[in-house]
Amino acid sequence: MSTDTIEILRRTEAPIHPAPESFVRKYIFSIDHKVIGVQYFIVSGLMILLSGLFAEAIRVQLTAPHNTFLTPQQFDEAFTFHGTLMVWFGAIPMVTGAFGNFVMPLQIGARDVAFPWLNMFSFWTFPPAVLILLSSLAFGAPNSGWTEYPPVSLQAGVGIVFWTTAVFTVGIGATLTALNFLTTVIKMRAPGMTFTRMPLFVWASAVTAVLSLVATTALASALGSLFLSHVFNVPFYDPSRGGTVVLFQHMFWFYSHPAVYILIIPVFGIVSEIIPTFARKPIFGYKLIAFSTVSIALLSFMVWAHHMFTSGLGPWVTLPFMILSMLIAVPTGIKIFSWTATLFGSNLRLTTAMLFVLGFLSTFTIGGITGIMLASVPVDWHEHATYFLVAHIHYVLFGGTLMGVIGGVYYWWPKVTGRLMSESLGKWHFWLTFIFFNATFLPMHFVGLLGMPRRVAYYDPAFQGLNLFISISAFLLAGSFLLLFVNAFWSLKKGAAAGPNPWGARTLEWMIPSPPPYYNFKETPEVYATPYGYGEPLPYSAPYNSVSTTPTY
Amino acid sequence: MTVHTEALGHEHGHGHGIMTQEEYIEQRDTRFLGFLLFLFTDSIFFTAYIFAALYLRSAAPVWPPVGVERPDVNLGAVNAILLFGSGITAHYAMHRLKESRIAGYIWFTIATIILGSLFLGGQAYEYAHIHATWSGSSFGAAFFTLTGLHGFHVFVGVIYLIVTLLQSLGGTYTPERHFGLTAATLYWHFVDVIWVVLFFLFYIY
Ligand code: HEM
Ligand SMILES: [Cu+2]
Repeated sequence: MSTDTIEILRRTEAPIHPAPESFVRKYIFSIDHKVIGVQYFIVSGLMILLSGLFAEAIRVQLTAPHNTFLTPQQFDEAFTFHGTLMVWFGAIPMVTGAFGNFVMPLQIGARDVAFPWLNMFSFWTFPPAVLILLSSLAFGAPNSGWTEYPPVSLQAGVGIVFWTTAVFTVGIGATLTALNFLTTVIKMRAPGMTFTRMPLFVWASAVTAVLSLVATTALASALGSLFLSHVFNVPFYDPSRGGTVVLFQHMFWFYSHPAVYILIIPVFGIVSEIIPTFARKPIFGYKLIAFSTVSIALLSFMVWAHHMFTSGLGPWVTLPFMILSMLIAVPTGIKIFSWTATLFGSNLRLTTAMLFVLGFLSTFTIGGITGIMLASVPVDWHEHATYFLVAHIHYVLFGGTLMGVIGGVYYWWPKVTGRLMSESLGKWHFWLTFIFFNATFLPMHFVGLLGMPRRVAYYDPAFQGLNLFISISAFLLAGSFLLLFVNAFWSLKKGAAAGPNPWGARTLEWMIPSPPPYYNFKETPEVYATPYGYGEPLPYSAPYNSVSTTPTY
Repeated sequence: MTVHTEALGHEHGHGHGIMTQEEYIEQRDTRFLGFLLFLFTDSIFFTAYIFAALYLRSAAPVWPPVGVERPDVNLGAVNAILLFGSGITAHYAMHRLKESRIAGYIWFTIATIILGSLFLGGQAYEYAHIHATWSGSSFGAAFFTLTGLHGFHVFVGVIYLIVTLLQSLGGTYTPERHFGLTAATLYWHFVDVIWVVLFFLFYIY
């Protein structure tokens, strides 16, 4: 067999699955990673909206110290649904299921993920899980927060059964997606794409998949133990029969601390794609960014007890956890500096996507700093379970994850739909969101430091002024998102055709038409270098090296 | 049949060197890696509950707690022997298939299935006679949850082996192509290894 045979083999590689013909196979039970990505985008987007509604209900209640808008019971349900929907049904499927599915296989030059059928199955665990969770509203909703600590969660009735089942179900999908993505990244890269030539979003997806494979199953065990405790009266958490509630906290946070990195690492990937595109410079410290992602992932399994500093673990347990938690700031800081160094001295193009990334950089950094504060045991004793903690998680999750996600939406929208969005509307959206985000969550630091506890329906009238301010800002923040929807609909109806590469980017997904054809790449591309070599010829085999990288937008 | 794969990016630095057509196809065969990752994530299930058991143990003044009896170590040992025996027969079944000795493959697989079923029988017997209950104590919670989870895995494994046996009677597997069997055998060894840990955890330690 000669070189030509391999060549022919590569170029005529059999389609991995035939193009679907019926509507149902095309759009509902599709096995195309791009369609599944869009499906995930729609469902998780709806979940973020729904979760936002619960958040607004919380803020309505808190406009006055003894408001009667919600009963304390309903208030508890509201924050439980807000957190649960946001973490497992909104943000995680958004950054993995939606972005990972659509972008990652394209960026490695593959025709699909490793297991297309499994991918379809993963998605179809998601809508039933949503239904299970929401149906609990009719039977007695869970109300002990997204963390569902026993014994409270076990005393609250049947809601916990729905909650554990729903999160377990969506977790199965998340685990299988992770398995699929990791196999895809290891096995399906285009010839010549060594690990150190992979786009950084691919690195992020692979590392996230590892986190998810370890942690999500651990969460499943924690959920299982709660379920068994409620349904079969198994005494994991009953001290009178030898159980201990602190065990649940260990099991839960062993998952949920890595989970916050499942939520943010893909966004690190998104940011690492957007910055070099608009800075038009090679990304500074490619390997540093990639390897710091790996070290964050490793460290994230060694810090879970920083959520339990007030659970009575004793100084010899809390001390190492405190030090390790603070250590995470090092790899995180490496990233922030690498991104900043890429921006430094560049002729930056301030598109909407780029603005959101700049917003991400500033707010996420603040969230990281409050994280370090909370990682200090003496500080945490004061701030644990106050609004200061709420401020921290929203600076990292809204200011970090969500800002990055919106930046990613503006960035890849033309690729997915083939049409451009309105940049002027987008900039309005950015500034309103950025301003009202800070107006909403910055004051939470102050009410927290003053001592207002989280998860309580009533509060000391002394905090009323700040709370009213926060609530009004929160309504306006929600309102600012209308601009995104208007923009999206406008773009679908009237947006100009995007062309293959409107931003002049260099990763593989921009080397093919928008939206990409069914098989993505008619011939599998070959890859000769990292994608970020701005100023050099494109590092791909023909025909993928002939796309213009001059921004048309 | 080796070739230089200039076409695969060799000339531009880090290439793939020499690759046969089989290797190229192999590289694209994702099932084995996917299955290993599945086993890995499945093992986390057990790991989490094993740590939970150790945690509950460390929280108890004596273990098993007062009034709870340890399960009978003899029964556990018999079960261990049954399961390890089935691991050996599963191993030989695989070998026989690779050597194209189909009859040997069939008999060894049937032996595996029987040994696995006997294990399940032994476990059912144990559940019926043990003096601890699932809801009675932290020991019971850990013991029944973990051995139950394991027993469920054995049950699935037995079904899986029966299915592969029927498939191979229908000619699905050949000495060259038998991924389904490789997976079943791997899974079976995995379940074996878990039992080593559980045996130590509940019957001895
Ligand atoms: C430098 C990095 C970080 C450090 C040192 C850190 C530290 C902490 C600490 C110590 C707590 C516990 C506070 C308490 O319960 O009293 C906490 C809570 C939390 N953090 Fe972070 N954090 C960091 C980054 C992040 C990131 C990147 C995310 C998510 C994207 C995140 C999400 C959360 C969430 C959701 C909670 C609250 C959990 C709950 O409901 O109790 N953190 N963080
Ligand atoms: Cu944490």
